[in-house]
Amino acid sequence: MPLIIDRQPAADTWVRVDSEEGLKQSGDLLVDFALWLEHADQLKARDGRLGVVIDGDSELDPLLSDLDRLALVAVAFPSFADGRGFSLARMLRQHHGFTGEIRAVGDVTWDRLRYMARCGINAYDVPAERYSDDMLSAFDEITVCYQGAEDDPRPIYRQS
Amino acid sequence: MYIYNELDQQLIEQRAEQFRDQVRRYLAGQIAEDEFRVLRLQNGLYIQRHAPMLRVAINYGLLSSQQLRALAEVSRKYDKSYAHFTTRQNVQFNWPALEQVPDILADLAKVQMHAIQTSGSCIRSVGSDHFAGVFADEIEDPRPWSEIIRQWAALHPEFAYLPRKFKIACTGSRSDRAATQVHDIGVHVVNNDAGEQGFEILVGGGLGRTPMIGKVIRDFLPRQELLAYLEAILRVYNLWGRRDNKYKARIKILVQSLGVEDFRNRVEAEWERIKGGELTLTDAYVDRIKADFQPPAYDANAAADTSYAEKLASERDFAVWIERNTVPHKVAGYRAVTLTLKDYLKAPGDLSDVQMDEVADLADRYNFGEVRTTHEQNMVFAHIKQADLYPLWQALGELGLARPVVGTINDMICCPGLDFCSLANAETLSVARQVQERFDDMDYLYDLGDLSLKMSGCINACAHHHVGHIGILGVDKNGESYYQFTLGGSAAEDASIGKVLGKSIPLAEVGDTLQKILDTYVEIRDEGERFLDTVRRVGNQPFKERVYAANH
Repeated sequence: MPLIIDRQPAADTWVRVDSEEGLKQSGDLLVDFALWLEHADQLKARDGRLGVVIDGDSELDPLLSDLDRLALVAVAFPSFADGRGFSLARMLRQHHGFTGEIRAVGDVTWDRLRYMARCGINAYDVPAERYSDDMLSAFDEITVCYQGAEDDPRPIYRQS
Repeated sequence: MYIYNELDQQLIEQRAEQFRDQVRRYLAGQIAEDEFRVLRLQNGLYIQRHAPMLRVAINYGLLSSQQLRALAEVSRKYDKSYAHFTTRQNVQFNWPALEQVPDILADLAKVQMHAIQTSGSCIRSVGSDHFAGVFADEIEDPRPWSEIIRQWAALHPEFAYLPRKFKIACTGSRSDRAATQVHDIGVHVVNNDAGEQGFEILVGGGLGRTPMIGKVIRDFLPRQELLAYLEAILRVYNLWGRRDNKYKARIKILVQSLGVEDFRNRVEAEWERIKGGELTLTDAYVDRIKADFQPPAYDANAAADTSYAEKLASERDFAVWIERNTVPHKVAGYRAVTLTLKDYLKAPGDLSDVQMDEVADLADRYNFGEVRTTHEQNMVFAHIKQADLYPLWQALGELGLARPVVGTINDMICCPGLDFCSLANAETLSVARQVQERFDDMDYLYDLGDLSLKMSGCINACAHHHVGHIGILGVDKNGESYYQFTLGGSAAEDASIGKVLGKSIPLAEVGDTLQKILDTYVEIRDEGERFLDTVRRVGNQPFKERVYAANH
């Protein structure tokens, strides 16, 4: 699927793993949260970078102590109406100091890109049928921010 | 009122253009119907029974005369020359074409108006007290705080896709004229024992299918922490509010299922992590906002006028209007006036373009160019010099906005119902006419005293029927409109949810039923006892016996 990283089209170097079979592959693995819980030690011992896919139902506590081992956290947006991922991304940055890539996966389309960016998501896995180069303009549709967020923590009253 | 700076203006202009592009992509087939629905709702655009309906924000109910004229112009240019003022102090246009909505938004942006978050599962426009700045017992004018909340909520990146809609109201007085206890969050300006000013925070009020009164989750919040605390509440709600069932998705259900203690603990834990940070309000910012809400330049000699007393003594109708539709102002020689948008046999809350223009002119002439909308679907001129009351009364009378019915059942709050709304199950406007026709004897209405009648055409409760002293809910029975009565609700500081009287009754019997309820009240009330207090004293039983007596 088309990928945008830091507002640019990008190639996806990650292998998405959703079954135990897949864990044996080499390279950068992006594994589902349940698989991570079960195989964390084995995964941490292997070569190659690691990423985990979380969603609004994931109980994140077991993951937090290993955040510095992760190069990527993918936040799933199961539908465009499910906004939990915005808070999850912000908390990863704001509370847990995660500095790696946060990638939106699932229902990721034009009209949520800017909000996602503001919440600390810097990569976007866009369904092929919804991708167009034009959508990169989404980030700059609105340039005024009343709130502080992860792109700029200063609310409007601290910006000058 | 709040004066937009360059950035405020830029934001609403960019938002209008963003929506123009969303409409373009939708019409080009690039956005699916269900996704566009979410996008258009975040801009106040519904698809209704006959046409789209556009809801425009009137933040905390405050309008300039220039803005009201712009609304009149929009109604002429894009609609059927009228607008409907709502129970959340906003305004609705019932007949715009989808393709023209971006132009409407661009026109409105020229007068600092917008439709941002007037619908959808996001933080809605902030409600406030329509008598802000009028009464001496006010702790502080709540509107600067409402504006601060508005700015924080506008296009908040984290909270645009909440489980459900989210409504905040803010008051600065012990008297609650903004129905704060039936909002998702109620913000009350309070003083603590040390004499410091801050906020009491209520969470989890709301109407709809499961009406609830909000619970206090913090007695005292330091003022500079307001936004950090709101952010903590919204984050807890966004993460844990139910998303599997829209009837259980409001924050009131989360508060109920976790219990107030657990909910509070989660909010406080989140707040601990962010408090004292960037969200902390700065004095410079608060002062800048407050500077825009300074009292107008009152005439120090207003009370010296003698014409007012003369007119009061000589013109009974004028005196009655003063008694019903105006209240004393803290500034000597001034009163605050309610314009009743309840003209005889007209849809409650509707104004024509001509009326809007005329009201704007009157606001310029008599009220420092300011107009307020109320959650009772009326308007308020908050600063009228006593010498101006008589000519204002005459002018309002010609416009049909001076019916002396404030606080009576003729001041009925009513949603548009089946005639316009695609959610409605039953007619409301014909019932409102039925009530007005039947109860048109003013002396009788005054004898009944304060009595709020609120009627919604469906369980979504736009007219807040649960908190009417008498509430009427329209329901559908095999394609016929029926009406269920509730008694004993209140939206004020003594907030309560009304109790259902009994089985619903058909359209033709609404007037009779109301008559029986009122007759019962008149018979059993104590001297000077309000209807609400009688119901609270005796319960529904005596009313129920009368309404459902055997001859039915």
